[in-house]
Amino acid sequence: MTPKNYKFTKEHEWICPDGNKGTVGITDYAQHELGDIVYVDLPSPGAKVAQFKRMCEIESVKAVAEFFAPASGTITEVNQAAIDEPKIINEDPYGKAWLVKIEISDPAELNNLMNSDQYDVYTAKLTKEMKE
Amino acid sequence: MESSELKKTPLNQMHRKLGAKMMDFAGWDMPVWYTSILEEHKAVRTHAGIFDVSDMGRVWVTGKGAGAFLDKMLTKPPQSLPIGGAQLCLLCFENGGILDDLWVYRVETDKYLIVWNAAKIESKRQWLDKWAGKNPDFRIDDVSAKTVMLAVQGPSVAKLECLKTIADLPRFGHKEAVIGGIKVYAARTGYTGEDGFEIIADIADTVRLWELFTKAGVKPCGLGCRDMLRLEAGMMLCGQDMDSNTNPFEASLGWLVNMEGSDFIGKKALIEIKQKGIKRKLIGFEIQGREIARNGYKIFKSGKEVGVVTSGGNSPMLNKNVGFGYVPVEMADINTSIDIMIRNKPVPAKIVNKKFYKRGG
Repeated sequence: MTPKNYKFTKEHEWICPDGNKGTVGITDYAQHELGDIVYVDLPSPGAKVAQFKRMCEIESVKAVAEFFAPASGTITEVNQAAIDEPKIINEDPYGKAWLVKIEISDPAELNNLMNSDQYDVYTAKLTKEMKE
Repeated sequence: MESSELKKTPLNQMHRKLGAKMMDFAGWDMPVWYTSILEEHKAVRTHAGIFDVSDMGRVWVTGKGAGAFLDKMLTKPPQSLPIGGAQLCLLCFENGGILDDLWVYRVETDKYLIVWNAAKIESKRQWLDKWAGKNPDFRIDDVSAKTVMLAVQGPSVAKLECLKTIADLPRFGHKEAVIGGIKVYAARTGYTGEDGFEIIADIADTVRLWELFTKAGVKPCGLGCRDMLRLEAGMMLCGQDMDSNTNPFEASLGWLVNMEGSDFIGKKALIEIKQKGIKRKLIGFEIQGREIARNGYKIFKSGKEVGVVTSGGNSPMLNKNVGFGYVPVEMADINTSIDIMIRNKPVPAKIVNKKFYKRGG
């Protein structure tokens, strides 16, 4: 189930906003596309990220993918559990496998993102295109 | 690719029905994984997995001159095989470059089966036709489109009830048989580093044959785990680890070439190459970190670029990331430290024996 209170990017990142803070991760669709995840290279706390610009790399057995920040801001925390045991991203991408926490510099940027219904429609379309 | 439209094996519908993630492999629409590469890998290493390998080419060479012709085409003379024997060998160009690696099975005195890789099928067939010339005293029959080919691999496969009629085959042995009421040609070969069989049947029996195994608990496995298995077992992939720009000696495939036997295409050039000595060599390496090296990544030594990665991946059996790559011969010794440039960062690695995993060892 796509969480209702999260916001989504076209590149399959999510952010769960809480005032000017936000928790960030990749979506269930993204983990499914990547397959077995074996390595995560996250930015360090204090690093600045910009909306839709490179944030981290996630490597699966099959491929390596770049992920982008869903909002601009400063990294305040990284999820050591996801670094130590990347397969939890496959198991629980919306929950215990969050990747970083961000202090959001411009909350208005969140209006550039999809809500969960829009994201579901978007990924359903991608899945359908792929099957054809 | 020889055509923009992806080719489909007789099992394409089955893969899609099973929800496989599909990819373009050498112009074929093939499954990468059904559930997970790691789960499928584990099935093959601990129990049994099944692969659709119908994208590979199957060619019969039959007739009085078949053996002599193949002795000329291949780097090891198939005429020295006993009937029922088989060998892995190479198809080389005149300059010693590698066109493909393939299995040749001697079925009868004048009847051979060739199984080669999915890539460049057209060029390989043309290559054979060119050297066969006009009115040869043998026939080349490509039966790939009329047949289906499955690989059933893993430590439990020889105990499968449905395979009891071929369980007596020795390693690399092959024969005509009936399994589950289906007429097949079966060989005890594979590309996973495990015991197993490769089975060819008429296209009409495709689904029955597949389900014979899946109903017996054999797990469908995709190309992702196949690549992981072959890399882990130290087996190379033609077109990626070696190609027309590499010769067998630098590709560490000298064991597939018989320099003492009959004359074959490329032998003259290979004699010269061997005399001059090779400059680079394919090695195996183990990464000392968690990053995966992938095809095309650069290899460095003391800050200087010295080579390139051809294959790389995770080895679940070793719990390490491993790979193959080319380095100058003088740096190719076991235990040599190298760096692999992974996303602009030098990651330390060590040259090791490229047979990363050995069954039962």
